[in-house]
Amino acid sequence: MAANPSSTALVLSRVTAYFGDEKRGESAVLKDITFSVPTGAFVSIIGPSGSGKSTLMRVILGLMSASSGNIVRNFTKPAMVFQNYALFPWLSAIDNVAFGLKMQGMDRKERERIAREKLNQVGLTRLERHFPSALSGGQRQRVGLARALAISPDLLIMDEPFSNLDTITSEALKTDLLKIWRSYGMTILMVNHLIPDAIELSDAIHIMSSHPGRIEKTVSVRLPRPRDTRSPQFYAEVDALTEAIREIS
Amino acid sequence: MIGNISRPKTRSLHRSHVRRNRLAWLMMAIIVVSAYFFLAAGYFGGVDWPTLVDAVLRTTYRLAVAYGIAVIIGVSLALIVGWGPLIDFFFPVFDILQNLPSFALFPLFIYFFGLTDIMIILFAVSSIVWPILFAVLTAIRSAHKDLNDAATIFGATRLRRIGYYLAPLSFPAVLTGSIVGIAIGWESIIGAEIISTTNGFGSYIKNVDVAGVNPSAVAGALCILIIVFAVNRLVWAPLLLESGRRYAE
Repeated sequence: MAANPSSTALVLSRVTAYFGDEKRGESAVLKDITFSVPTGAFVSIIGPSGSGKSTLMRVILGLMSASSGNIVRNFTKPAMVFQNYALFPWLSAIDNVAFGLKMQGMDRKERERIAREKLNQVGLTRLERHFPSALSGGQRQRVGLARALAISPDLLIMDEPFSNLDTITSEALKTDLLKIWRSYGMTILMVNHLIPDAIELSDAIHIMSSHPGRIEKTVSVRLPRPRDTRSPQFYAEVDALTEAIREIS
Repeated sequence: MIGNISRPKTRSLHRSHVRRNRLAWLMMAIIVVSAYFFLAAGYFGGVDWPTLVDAVLRTTYRLAVAYGIAVIIGVSLALIVGWGPLIDFFFPVFDILQNLPSFALFPLFIYFFGLTDIMIILFAVSSIVWPILFAVLTAIRSAHKDLNDAATIFGATRLRRIGYYLAPLSFPAVLTGSIVGIAIGWESIIGAEIISTTNGFGSYIKNVDVAGVNPSAVAGALCILIIVFAVNRLVWAPLLLESGRRYAE
């Protein structure tokens, strides 16, 4: 866990955060969170609902400040994929994808070219003029992923990206996500509550407990990629992680 | 696949719009046919049409100018204070101000501006601005946290946040606030014209017969109804349809 700025995208050291006012005695939502994320790794954070996983992501992105502790951010262009998509309803799929590029001041022609390319990568070329309300959950999440990829992020944070999707859509999106991760080489930090998903995708898994949210254990997944989710080794990893979570809770 | 997902929503929206549209036109047809029968029967024989049209146009002009000023002030104020910490201070202040009965302040408007066009317009602004301001403030404050985060992460910060995120986010609220505001605006302007006997529809009906129903007053009411209907059908109905289409969840 030694922090080496050249090989770690993110280092958190004893990070504590409160929702309300610490001085008024309100309880911490995150307590002494310490972990690091190697550059280019796929790291998952799993834990029960209410353990502060999403809050941790907001703290990492600077959307919420930590009360104490240190955060070393060795990334310049973070992007996020949200559980409930968070697409701008007034923008078409292509304009949603191009939003970040527009904010960077890129001209329309160039940003539409890039947005089209990203939509193509996530398999939504034909739907570029559709508004989010006309898209299914899986399609919206793909637009969300394309929007994140469009700004060429060096850190991609995903907050339970599969939890609102049906199994078939979720499987297809996971396959696409792994392809994209391999081709982009970016660092991915994913919040999750599904143990098999975490094992299938991650290099390392941090297990959180709740009240207050803290990292209880870190598990490295050493299965070779691509991972066979029906192999005995995969099931053994799932069992081991399940057992670890049981011990904590 | 997208056809199955998008068409039912679009169809349902379209069907309800068509139903409302038909009902509105039916009501208007009843009013026009009734007016025609009154006209044919010579009921409006004694109406001074040039004076009536002049009065209605003056009142409509005042309302249009007052609405224009109110929408600029209301939306700008809401966009400026709505997303910062200042809102916690301003919201209760606005709430108290909007609860002041408009006509209680009428003497002040006369004192400062005299019996002029400007006085009536500014008095109407003081009534129209509140529903617009509060609708936009509510829209900004109730925006989903993830949508706010997405806007921040993808670069909609500072002034860009207003132009590219908060303004489009508030569009449906501006519409509903405007519809309510204009309804209040008619009352304020006509009331102000009646009290101040400044030329316009208010003073016209006061002159023709303030207490009773007579052909001139009926003809005036019909003129106002036709204007209200035309604005509703030609401006608000298409904008509401577009807003419903784009902003549907």
